[in-house]
Amino acid sequence: MSYWARRVSGAALVLGMVLALNFALFRMMPGDPVTSVMDPDFSPEARERLRQVYGLDRPLYAQFALYVKSTLSFDFGVSFLTGRPVADELRSRVPNTAALLGTSLLLSASLGTWLGMKAALRRGSLLERCVLWSGALSFSFPSFFVQLVLLMALASALPLFPLRGSLSVPPPEGGWGFALDYVHHLALPVLSLTLLGFGGWAIYVRNLAVKVMGEDFILMARARGLPRRRILLGHVFRTMLPTLLTLLLMSLPGVVSGAVITETVFSLHGVGRFLLEAVTGHDYPAAGAAFFLLSLLTVACNLLADLLYSVVDPRVRLDRSAR
Amino acid sequence: MRRLLLRLAAIAALSLAAPGLTAGAASRFSIEDYSAPKVKDLYLVIIRDPDAQLMALQNGQADILGDIQRPVDVDRLADDPNVNLSLAAGFHGFFLGFNNRSFPWDRVELRRAAWQALPREQIVRDLFAGYAEPLSTFLPHVSPYYEPSVRAYPYDPDAARRSLADAGWTLDGDGVLVSPDGSRVPAQKLLCPTASVAPTTAELASRAADALSAIGIPTSTEPMDFSAMLSRIDERDFQMYVLAWQMTRDPDSLYALYSSKMDIPGGSNLPGISNPELDAVLNRLRFAPDATTALDAASDAQALLAELAPVAPIYSRYSVSAVRRDWKGVLVTDRVTADNIWSLLSMEPASGPMRPLYLVQEEEPRALNPFTSTSAYDWQVMGLVYDSLIAVDPYTLETIPWLAKSWKVETEDDGDGPHTVLTFLLREGARWHDGRPLTSRDAAFTYEFLMKNRPPRYFDNVDNIALVETPDDATLVVTMKNVSFWHLHRIGGLPILPAHLLERVSDWRSWLPASERHPDDPSLTLMTGSGPFVLREYRPGEYVHLTGNGDFWLGRR
Repeated sequence: MSYWARRVSGAALVLGMVLALNFALFRMMPGDPVTSVMDPDFSPEARERLRQVYGLDRPLYAQFALYVKSTLSFDFGVSFLTGRPVADELRSRVPNTAALLGTSLLLSASLGTWLGMKAALRRGSLLERCVLWSGALSFSFPSFFVQLVLLMALASALPLFPLRGSLSVPPPEGGWGFALDYVHHLALPVLSLTLLGFGGWAIYVRNLAVKVMGEDFILMARARGLPRRRILLGHVFRTMLPTLLTLLLMSLPGVVSGAVITETVFSLHGVGRFLLEAVTGHDYPAAGAAFFLLSLLTVACNLLADLLYSVVDPRVRLDRSAR
Repeated sequence: MRRLLLRLAAIAALSLAAPGLTAGAASRFSIEDYSAPKVKDLYLVIIRDPDAQLMALQNGQADILGDIQRPVDVDRLADDPNVNLSLAAGFHGFFLGFNNRSFPWDRVELRRAAWQALPREQIVRDLFAGYAEPLSTFLPHVSPYYEPSVRAYPYDPDAARRSLADAGWTLDGDGVLVSPDGSRVPAQKLLCPTASVAPTTAELASRAADALSAIGIPTSTEPMDFSAMLSRIDERDFQMYVLAWQMTRDPDSLYALYSSKMDIPGGSNLPGISNPELDAVLNRLRFAPDATTALDAASDAQALLAELAPVAPIYSRYSVSAVRRDWKGVLVTDRVTADNIWSLLSMEPASGPMRPLYLVQEEEPRALNPFTSTSAYDWQVMGLVYDSLIAVDPYTLETIPWLAKSWKVETEDDGDGPHTVLTFLLREGARWHDGRPLTSRDAAFTYEFLMKNRPPRYFDNVDNIALVETPDDATLVVTMKNVSFWHLHRIGGLPILPAHLLERVSDWRSWLPASERHPDDPSLTLMTGSGPFVLREYRPGEYVHLTGNGDFWLGRR
């Protein structure tokens, strides 16, 4: 069996296990969607009717068959909590979450990489100390604190940004006005996540670059008189690239799972809160769908990382074909 | 100064627990003083974070903020000269529950002593900064059925110890109570949510555990995930728990909470109290044929519950809301805060031209499906769009006319046993938002739809309907299977939907009327009602846009 066939079949096996675990784990959690309805005006008969409506009165194997069918067809069923199709719920939420977290991930990764490289090149300088300190500060503060301070400072005291949501109420007419309004609304949440995220990247990249620059082949390149820029881009950065790519790709599932706190503070319609409410509210269809998609994304990112490894580092491909 | 006044108002609300707030109290309220909404545009803006909600109100980006829960926020708004705060006692009740089914909580004297050992006033003062009231009854004092003469157990741990000693309880060498028959009180676990999820409740549970330990009941808290806690309580796997209930104005919820018939799987008699005398009184309350019998039975039930102490009431939270002062026409009573339907009907700018009104919606409406939605945030929207036959007087909480201008509640017996017959007379001139006339046939079609499909939310409302008749366009007769005064509220409070749209609903579970356009009028959605506001747009995660219904049946002034 070829390398890629082995990898793909392994991924399919993982997804199958996730599918089964998703079903079993949520049902093993204490309580169910009906138990959580504690209301003296809701009689035992009404609760039984609710159980029927949710399909929880059926045998477990029938529930499992329905769950597998709806998941594999990407239909996902109807959310217990919202009464809306889970696919619609996700469709309406993923764009906001992807725009928010995707942009902030790219910005913090770019800024962190740039600052990390600068710091590595100027070891012992004020710049390096600033990068290390700001990096440590950046990921030491709790996100709700930073975001609330930003909200108070830049949306309330100095109203440069909107307080809430992804659109004005009512939103402006016309394509450009609408798009600018959207960007304006997402700017502060993106800024906050970038501030919170770049530090980790900067310190990681700086440490990695320092390590690589201490390698013999870099010394050799310097001794050969190669230009500094070529050493940095062609040798140091290229050596770091597989590790950075893995880090970036492994961060992607987190992009879709969302940031619950950010979505709450900035009142954004995103996946994070939906997922949290689905789990705490025993919304089996919604939680099952969300976790399955996250697993799918993680597996896909893993495969993509492997593929890109072979592109940026040809030795990886050679080693595999040699086995 | 305003903070002080507000706290004094909270204390004054405590003293409202007095005679006079009973069914039959005279109201100064008349629906005829109201008309169609004055505002043209109403936006329910979704802002989830409490700090962002406050900032929006203080910056003028929102005009009304309801359900303010944190005392620090109340204090902050009390200092804002642009905001008016309103505070009302409500139907929230927080209780310490005992498992009455087994030792030691099957002993009534121990339950009473535990109740007496709880420092309710101090808890309210420390944890809620005074914006709650200590609760010592089974119905809140705002209920029209509240019985003021019922005996409560004021905080007095020494009296609790004395009463236990008088009943033959002793303390062993470790200071733990021993019953008259020689059984030592085992270590008790008090179920509560974790401090990270519900810090106030966790702290309250911890204080309750200390108070009980101090009189010889060795108690410790068992914090857990809230769902897990509910599951344990539902399975009756507990010794003690702390839990809040949101009750309604109808006291027949006491039947669901304390009748032994409800100590069954899925039933709400969680403490498991079983007392034949109480059962008889609660039965009389549940199936009272008229208001007088209901009032009488409610008083007896409260007196008996205070004697039996199946749970110990601790506190009731106030509702607090805020409105910007640049609006006038706000209605506030000691039972409703500013964010009510009457305010929305009559609010207008204090000066200058009409402008949109922005109301903070603390959470996303979930489904906006009148058949499945149980969330208060959904009904904050749908309650403005759909009408029911009756409404609630904001001063007395009694039933007043709404879509029905009058009604009769009669008990008939035609050989099959006595049953209640409700006859509603609908208003003339009421129309749906799409211009079609609203008749009794719409109401009948709605009830029949609910009877046929039995959505869980309405199961208990329509389960006892035997027959729905429409002798003419303005008259609706609903014959029930049994006798109960509460049928009036259960039936009259149902939202009425247009038959011409309802007959097109193929699957009520996945019906999303707010997301689909009306077939004849693209400016409307399928959420077409007869209420004072018309739904124009729901943009998930952002806002709900409604406009004032110019053709509302209350007319224009």
